[in-house]
Amino acid sequence: MSKDLRIIGGSQPIFDAYNKVTGKTCYTGDMKLKNMLYGKLVLSTKAHARVVSIDSSEAEKLEGVVAIATPFNTSNKKYNSALRFADHDIPQTETVFSEIVRFVGDRVCAVAAIDQKVADKAAKLIRVEYEELPAVLSVEEAIEEEAVQLHDNVNNRLNDIKNQVGDVEKGFAEADHIFEDEYRTPIVSPMALENHVSIADYDEQGKLTIYSSTQNAFAVRNIISAVFNLPQSKVRIVKPTLGGAFGSKIPAVLEGPAAALSMMTHRPVKIDLTRKENLIASRTRHGSIVRLKTGVMKDGTIVAQQYNVLTNTGAYVGSAYNVIGAMSHKVFKTYKIPNMLYVGTPVLTNLPIAGAMRGYGSPQAIFAQQRQLHAISVRLEIDIVTLQRKNLIRPEDVDLEKVGNPRPLDCMERGLELFDWSVKNKWKLNKKEENNSNLRQEHRDSGRNNKRGIGFAIGCHGNGVYGAHRDFVGLRLKLNDDGTMVFESGTHDMGNSLITSQMMILAEELGLEVEDIAVVESDTDLTPWNLGDYSSRGVFVTGAACIKLAGIMREKLLLLASAMLEEAEENLQLQEGKKIISASGKEVSFADLLLYSHRELQEDVMVSTSYGSQAGRTSFGAHFAQVEVDEEQGTVRLLDYVAVHDVGQAINRLSLEGQLEGGIQMGLGYALSEKMEFDEQGRLKNSNLKKYKMFKASMMPDIKLDFIEEGEVPGPFGGKSIGECATVPVAPAIVNAVADALGFDFHCMPHDAEGLLEIVGCES
Amino acid sequence: MNNIKLKINGRIYEVKVEKNYTLLYVLRDMLDITGPKEGCGTGDCGACKVLIDGQALNACTTLAVKCEGKEIITIEGIADGPNLHPIQESFVEKGAVQCGFCTPGMVISAKALLDQNPKPTRDEIKKALNNNLCRCTGYVKIVDAIEDAAQKMRGDNHE
Ligand code: FES
Ligand code: FES
Repeated sequence: MSKDLRIIGGSQPIFDAYNKVTGKTCYTGDMKLKNMLYGKLVLSTKAHARVVSIDSSEAEKLEGVVAIATPFNTSNKKYNSALRFADHDIPQTETVFSEIVRFVGDRVCAVAAIDQKVADKAAKLIRVEYEELPAVLSVEEAIEEEAVQLHDNVNNRLNDIKNQVGDVEKGFAEADHIFEDEYRTPIVSPMALENHVSIADYDEQGKLTIYSSTQNAFAVRNIISAVFNLPQSKVRIVKPTLGGAFGSKIPAVLEGPAAALSMMTHRPVKIDLTRKENLIASRTRHGSIVRLKTGVMKDGTIVAQQYNVLTNTGAYVGSAYNVIGAMSHKVFKTYKIPNMLYVGTPVLTNLPIAGAMRGYGSPQAIFAQQRQLHAISVRLEIDIVTLQRKNLIRPEDVDLEKVGNPRPLDCMERGLELFDWSVKNKWKLNKKEENNSNLRQEHRDSGRNNKRGIGFAIGCHGNGVYGAHRDFVGLRLKLNDDGTMVFESGTHDMGNSLITSQMMILAEELGLEVEDIAVVESDTDLTPWNLGDYSSRGVFVTGAACIKLAGIMREKLLLLASAMLEEAEENLQLQEGKKIISASGKEVSFADLLLYSHRELQEDVMVSTSYGSQAGRTSFGAHFAQVEVDEEQGTVRLLDYVAVHDVGQAINRLSLEGQLEGGIQMGLGYALSEKMEFDEQGRLKNSNLKKYKMFKASMMPDIKLDFIEEGEVPGPFGGKSIGECATVPVAPAIVNAVADALGFDFHCMPHDAEGLLEIVGCES
Repeated sequence: MNNIKLKINGRIYEVKVEKNYTLLYVLRDMLDITGPKEGCGTGDCGACKVLIDGQALNACTTLAVKCEGKEIITIEGIADGPNLHPIQESFVEKGAVQCGFCTPGMVISAKALLDQNPKPTRDEIKKALNNNLCRCTGYVKIVDAIEDAAQKMRGDNHE
């Protein structure tokens, strides 16, 4: 790693912060196109039913209603909303509107009207006649032999995804102890603060432009062009600024219904979901049942581990396989276990569609992994730190070429220090010490009914999809007359500073300031192809692509300078301040190079490139929590929190911290307060933000952060991802601490344990 | 329909509204003042907060007709022309902005707090944000930013 980095590793506010703090940023929902109509979806009120008829006569009488799109007058071509590229072979089960509705919240039809009030009113006047079908509302029901099947082209129980190393049966046979546990994780909502919103604009020339809150513009273009049978030259997907996404905006959700209405009316149509609609009609995090069997030697060495996972993927196939497939890799990364088997099976149920959410399968599996390890430490009376040290993967154990530089152990060791683990844990280790009761008083039991506990967990996540399928990106960079540049990136910045990081990398490499770069973001007609922003590929893949792009631009500039200054290229150097200097002291600015190129060569200075990811690499994090549980009140308070992450090299420290802090908040909700609850009709019970409890500012603990920066080739400057990894270790760390406090072996989140606990407040 | 006059960011607007129109609907849909955001529409997220006579209130649960004669300030009215308000400046510098969807409401809540309490503790700041949800930042840098802005506004930078 170069020591003299000018920009990389520093702190750069997100590039569009000025507009965001002044209210000037135009999110999709803020856009108003000329003649625009407002759409409203009619969502199914039944968990499983055939739509017999849709009576819209009353709605049509309403002044201002312009069109009503239904399954009977709209394309019924099946698609998979989580499609990633044109030849991605995944089962197609969805349609724009559903003739058979498969969950409460399924799209039945939609109306377009001159304003939102009329559209809302009209939607209420539409009478849908249903013929009810039996519904399966849990994984267990759905896989029963005589269970009603949701689709005719796939079974409720989708295919198994398997992954293995060594011989797990042999491993279990050798083990001194075998532990078998079943863990459950709840269905939660990604809950980006901006609801899903799309505006479709089908013009008189047959061009369909869709402005949409999407993380995956090019894939959405594939879906829309297939569903509506339009050439891709006639479909343009534009991503305005995103108000958060967290995976929920990967699939096509509203683009289809908005397009249908716009094509009927030849007017722009906006559909902007309400929070309640968004909760049921966008995407959730898969609930899961993880059966975990682990074989351990007397000294704590893990010799075999087997995962059998069932995920609740909701009513349509969507990203069922993507998520469980990602999970199948993650469980192999953290420990040096010689024999492992993973079998994951997504299951269709009559509940809202599950999809991607920050962590993409890791939070579920790693919860089980880290919870069981904690339980094993208790059962075998082996200190958890010792147990972790014995089994954690170390860089010296692995093939650098294949695995890279995994640093979970460094994360743990640094975290133990920052958290003061040994002091907090002292009473346990020195039970016979005289002052035991004092320590116990101080560090464990703060009051009569209050019990304190400490716990930690180690989590991991990937860096792109290398190995699973294509993982590349196209980028373009253009030189302006004054030496500044325009960068065209298909990246979808979700507030996670992807674009800012890319600008920093280009600026570092080309002697520019970040402000010298203008950006054109994710627009299928304007920017090069992009795979979509998921799987934490923004820095590791697209960042590395920026290094390549900058290198090509540098070459081009040096070539021009060489011709202009009549100096050999090897005597020239690109310098900070948009200039090139020669060994002999000559100097030329980028601006002059551009003018030279225009004047003498009649050529624009513009480079583009593609970069394919070169390796699969893993990011790690170790999180530590101290909690205080009030048994009488059934409340948990967070007293202390430490998180240390292996990021290779910080690119933008400010956003690294921000991503981690946000990931922690999301994980805290997962552990202690968030859960989508359904009644026996499949209706969401907590469908607003009063009842669905996200962590508030005053509930947050003080957080100490640190980063391990030991480099990861081929990441840009050695950098790798944080965004998803940030949230993975949180829930197991918290639940391990609660388990420690109560001496109770949790197999689910505490707030999910039969009303055992409910969080009401946190100490800061 | 009622004809009402609203004073927003120092300017008078005349609008025709039904009694049940929320201030947020009038701002966003009728007047194109889209800085305030709708994150929930039920008074739970604070993305729609505006200052009404100096108080940070949710525009999504405030009826427009009740706002006549009051001084309404939205996020668009916080900066002094191109010069950011110290709160906005600190939000940018301290990394309190990620996706930015909660930001207008957060800045408004911060403004209401600091106008009344120029020297809040961290706990007081967190409390003042309890009706503002953020899904991106974990609030840490938002609280940092408000602390920083308070210091700047008091003029004691060396504290
Ligand atoms: S939109 Fe008003 S509080 Fe959420
Ligand atoms: S910055 Fe995204 S919700 Fe707060």
